[in-house]
Order: sequence, then C-alpha cells, then structure tokens
Amino acid sequence: MSGEVIYEPIEEFGLIKKDRSKTLFSKIGIVGCGLVGQNIARVASFYGIEVVFIEINEDKIREAYKNIERLLDERIEHWGITQGEKRASLSRITGTLDYNDLKGCDFVIEAIRAIDRGGKIKERKEIFHKIEAVVDRDCIIATNSTTIVITELSSDLIYRDRCVSLHFFVNSQEARIVEVVRGLYTTEKSYQKVCKFVTLINRKIVPVQESAGLVSVRMFVVVLNEACEILMEGISTIDDVDQTMKIGLGMRLGVFEVADKMGLDKIIRWMENIYNEFGDIRYKPNPYLRKLVRAKHLGIESGEGFYKYDTNGKKIVQPSGRC
Amino acid sequence: MDDADSHQIKNQIKRNRMKILVLNCGSSSIKYQLFTMTNRSVIAKGGVEKLGMKGSFLKHVRQDGQVVVFEGEIMDHKVGIEYILGVLTSEKHGCLKSLDEIQAVGHRVVHGGERFNSSVLLTDDVLAEITKCIDIAPLHNPPNLKGIRAMEELIPGIPQVGVFDTAFHQTMEPKAYMYGIPYVLYKKYGIRRYGFHGTSHRFVTKRACELLGVDYNTQKIISCHLGNGASVAAVKNGKSVDTSMGFTPIEGLIMGTRCGDLDVGVVHFIMEKEEIGIKSASTLFNKNAGMLGISGVSSDMREIETAKTNGNARAALALDIYNYKVKKYIGSYVAAMGGLDILIMTGGIGENADTTREGICSELDCLGISLDYAKNKGFRSEGIISTSDSKVKILVVPTDEELVIALDTEEIVRSLKKF
Repeated sequence: MSGEVIYEPIEEFGLIKKDRSKTLFSKIGIVGCGLVGQNIARVASFYGIEVVFIEINEDKIREAYKNIERLLDERIEHWGITQGEKRASLSRITGTLDYNDLKGCDFVIEAIRAIDRGGKIKERKEIFHKIEAVVDRDCIIATNSTTIVITELSSDLIYRDRCVSLHFFVNSQEARIVEVVRGLYTTEKSYQKVCKFVTLINRKIVPVQESAGLVSVRMFVVVLNEACEILMEGISTIDDVDQTMKIGLGMRLGVFEVADKMGLDKIIRWMENIYNEFGDIRYKPNPYLRKLVRAKHLGIESGEGFYKYDTNGKKIVQPSGRC
Repeated sequence: MDDADSHQIKNQIKRNRMKILVLNCGSSSIKYQLFTMTNRSVIAKGGVEKLGMKGSFLKHVRQDGQVVVFEGEIMDHKVGIEYILGVLTSEKHGCLKSLDEIQAVGHRVVHGGERFNSSVLLTDDVLAEITKCIDIAPLHNPPNLKGIRAMEELIPGIPQVGVFDTAFHQTMEPKAYMYGIPYVLYKKYGIRRYGFHGTSHRFVTKRACELLGVDYNTQKIISCHLGNGASVAAVKNGKSVDTSMGFTPIEGLIMGTRCGDLDVGVVHFIMEKEEIGIKSASTLFNKNAGMLGISGVSSDMREIETAKTNGNARAALALDIYNYKVKKYIGSYVAAMGGLDILIMTGGIGENADTTREGICSELDCLGISLDYAKNKGFRSEGIISTSDSKVKILVVPTDEELVIALDTEEIVRSLKKF
C-alpha cells in the first residue's frame, strides 16, 4: 500500500450527477430521558444513529446512562445483542443539560416523564419552543405523548408543519412497532420523513389519526378497567385473570403484568386525559386502580403494584389475589 | 441487448481486453473486484460498508495499492453500485475511461436452491427462480437480487452472470442431502441440505489436482474451507458428494460465532429456560455461539490462540473442540467416499493457522494422512504440507472465489456470443 489513506466526500463521485438531499437520520435528540427516552436512545443508537438527550440535572443524566446500560445488559443476557454491539451503542449516546447541543439534529422527540409533565401542556409547549429555537428548519419535532394531541402542542410553533406524535411501546422492549400520528398541520413530507426514521430503526409503522389514546392506550385502559372490575366483583383473582389472558387468549403478558410494567400512576393519568377528551365512563380510572396508586403501589418501579417485585424487578411472590 | 451492443462486446472481446466486474452484495455491504481477463488480474477492488446506515462509506483500493475512502450517505444497493461505477470511471481514482469497458458482471448468489447446479446467465426467468429461493435464504438472496437489478438499471443490457454458493453441491445424492424429518416438509418447503462455499470448494479442489498433476475426475478429495464461516466438502471424481453445511450455513463445524451441529432438543430447552423467542435464539446460535461463545474471548482464531498461550483454559478448550470437529468430519467423509487421495486446507484459517492444521491432521496416520510438521510450521502459501510418504497428499490452497466468479462469467459470456 502506498502512503496514507485518502479520504474523499462520496457525493462528487456519483455516476448520476444529481442532488442527493440528506435523507438519513444521522443525529437525533431526546428531551427527557426517563424510561421512554432511554428506550428510544437504546434503539436509535443500536441502529447507528447518534443520540443527544437533554436532562434537567447531572444526576438525571447519570441515572439515564446507567439505565440505558442496564437495558443493553438485559438484551445481552437474553441473547438479543452482543457485547460489541453494546459498546458501539453506548458510544453514540451523549447526555447534556444544554438545548444548544440539539443543533444539527434531524429529529428531536420530547419524552419527558409523565410525572414531570403534571399533565400540563404548558411545559411541553415551552420545550417545543426551546427545541425550535436551536434546530434547523428541516428538523422534525415530535412528542411521545399518546393522550395529548399534537395539533395543540404545535400550534404556537413558527413551523407547525414539522410536528408529529410518535408512540413507542416501552413495556415490551422489543415490540417492533410505533404508532405515528400526524397533526392538522403536519405535511406529507414531514410525515414521510418520520416514517423513514421509524423504518431505519427497524420498527413497523402504524399510521393513526390524531385522537387521544391512539389505538394502543385506548384499548389497554378499557381492558385494564374491565379487569379491575372483575377483581372488585370478586369474580376472579389477579393471577387467574392474567393466566386467562395469556394461555386462553394467547397474549404474551397478562393485563396486570403489563400495567405493572407501565406504571399505574402513568396509566391513571392516561385514563384521566382520555376521559376528559371523550367523557365516556369506560375510560374513567377504576377505584381499585386509584386505591393502589394512593398506596404508592405503582408497579415494578416502586416494587409493588398488582404483584410484588424484588429490586431487580422480578416478581417475588405468588400473586396476592387481593379483592 | 440489441445487435449494436453485441457487436461492440464482440469487438472488445476480440481485442482481448475483456474486463469483468465481480459483485458480492450482502445485506449491508457490497464487495467488488474488477478483473482484466487478459492476465486474470485484479485492477481495482473495494467495498461499500454500512449500507443504509449512518457512517456508510466506500473503500476503494486502486491498482497502485493506494486506499481511498469515500465517505457519505449510501442509502441502498443501487446508490452503492452507482458510486462504485462512478469511482471506477472517475479521472482521479478510477481505471476505466468509460463504463463500456466493463463487458460483463458476475454476481455471487448465495442460494440457488435445487434449480441451479452451475453458474448461469441472469435472465428474467433465472431472476424469477432466484426470487423463489428467497423463502429458504431470506437473509442472503434479497440483497443479491437488489445488486443484480441495480446493475441492470445502471448499465442496461449488460450481460450478468450468477454464480451460486450452493451450485457445486447439487451433485449430492438424496442420501446425503435429506434430513430425518417428514418427507412432506421437503416437498412443501424444500427443506434439505444444500451446502455452501461451493465456489471455493470447486476452485481449490480443481487447483489441487492441477498442482499435483492428477486427473480431477478420478480423485477422492476432502476440502476444508476454514474461515469465519467454515465447511468441509467431500469431492469424489470431480463431484461434491457431501458437505458439512446444510439448509443454512449454521450446520456443521464450529465457526467464529455459529454453533455448528447441535441437538435440536437443546434449542427448545434453551428457549424455554432463557425465556427467549425465535429472533433472540437465532442471535444466540449465530452470533453469540461458536468459538466466541465457548472461549469468551473472541471469534478471531488469532486472538483465541494468543489467549491460549497466555493460559486461558476456555480458549484452549475452544481450539480443541474446533480441531476435533474438523477431524470427525474428515473421518466420516473418508468413510463416505471409501478412501482419500487429497486433503485441502483453505480459507483464512486453513491458509494461515499452522497450529490448527496440525491439530486437525495429528493422529490421522491410520487414514494415510501424515502431516510434515516442520513444513507445516509457518506455511502460508500454496503447496504440499504432507510427508513425502504420506498416502494422502495434504495441500494448502488459497481460495479465490472472486476469480472463479470472473472466470465463470467470462466463459458464459463468451459461449453466449459463440466466439
């Protein structure tokens, strides 16, 4: 080999001299790196995309890093990825406190913790503003919200056409599906760009019209309410309801198992939002669910929900079968 | 192709300046070599990596050995091939004045199913057949097809030839290729052993006979292609009679990260105990197993050797298992062919790892296989490494799959034009 390697930009060597507009997502931003943000970071970085996430303090940044690493370790333990892939993924993720680091992102998603949101739309509108102030005109701005409509969230932006809502399923890490919602202002171009992103991270797109709860959450809350109703009526036990769902109806997890994974406080907020939107009693949080949340039995994260969990999040005892 | 085109090709071939581009399209990579058939030499080569991902690039090696890396977005196979052609014809780094200088393109096609027992000109009918094989080679055939279609769009009418990894093994008899599963599944889905690395096994077995000056059609040969993927083939009288890879390239030897032969009961057991699905199980057996899984060190033979030297017991175990497995296949193929004349080592490991060759060939004197240990030590070229009185000749033959693809392509294109 003679001499050093020469580096050239490839664009000048195309056979067909045509403008190749930048279409690949090379860098994305995540505002708020809780469970949802961590999962998006993990998935996007795995597929070779640089990820910048914004948190509110250094502790939260460290916590997010630690959790992403744990998520990756879990994937390794379950033979999903290799050590090398974990190292490569982590090297692509950067945490920061500064919105200016979102510069150059092709896509920024707001995924702040539900608890920080307090259900208020104002904070999130502010976040959208802060994002818009630093990113390019072409950058897509998205929210992971399922119960707040994107049209409202984007209505105060300068360029409202670039907003979409994406719903990642975090309860099952490898659920390769994303609900994609376009708002009233979203252009076809922006929508297609988002679809491209979702395809790049190897997820299936479910197009959904703008509606609180989309498909997934709306279905789930009704099923959970009904399951709580069954408990309250003393018809069956937690474990037996889940067994019926799993074995009888062929679902991978029971409805109570899923609820514990999602976090019961989060579910209640979803229910309240959807209930406010539609006013249908079906969506109103079941008293049993409220009782658990009041007792701080919020699910796996708090160590107890419908079931009890050890510090590793593994179910420890046979279900109590309360009610 | 119209008459004007064929006339042009005819003239260029007559002037004996035939240039052939060999393409190997994977799911996220495209490797290429440009051959000039006058002296069968490579005038440019390289590859596109990370296709459709962030950080995609094209690495090109010029004839003078200079390496040029072209960085930028390479979205798909068509764009990748377009850039390859652009670089080849560029003034700055290229070696072609125009694309007309490329007379034909040879493609590596992984799975030819039961339909193809030799290389073929890629016509619409052939492409339809390759498309049918997607079912049994979902990872490999689609990118191969993408490459073929992209080339057709970029240089319309250029003759393209498909060289199949499976073709050479199509001479296997049913007794060698059938699995012990319900026959109806073979009829329904084509589940049987196909074997891979056919292009390599064909090349090295022929080449060994050339080197020894013996008739290819009278020899009993075992060829060990030991690379990142690895397989052993039994070639009797010029025909592949058995090979270690099966329906997919995971069967047979222990490989870098693939487990090789495995009791199917183990698969169910692991899936149940580890609570994993089909996808994770596939990652486990294809990416986390093999030499990497056993040694816990690496999938790279050199790193495992180093670890063994440093006293790593699992690395030593992995190497023992590796050699033992190859040895068992050699023994069984001697039995299958009723004897053995030539034993070939090829592929990255077969060509370079003398300790592995030693480990495999030791204590095989009972089969007439006697390695010249002194000669084997550090041997890294082409030639005989058995003792002068060894009944079986042991050879190291560097493989060159791209050259085989180029030669097949040349032959088919020439016969096509009836020169």
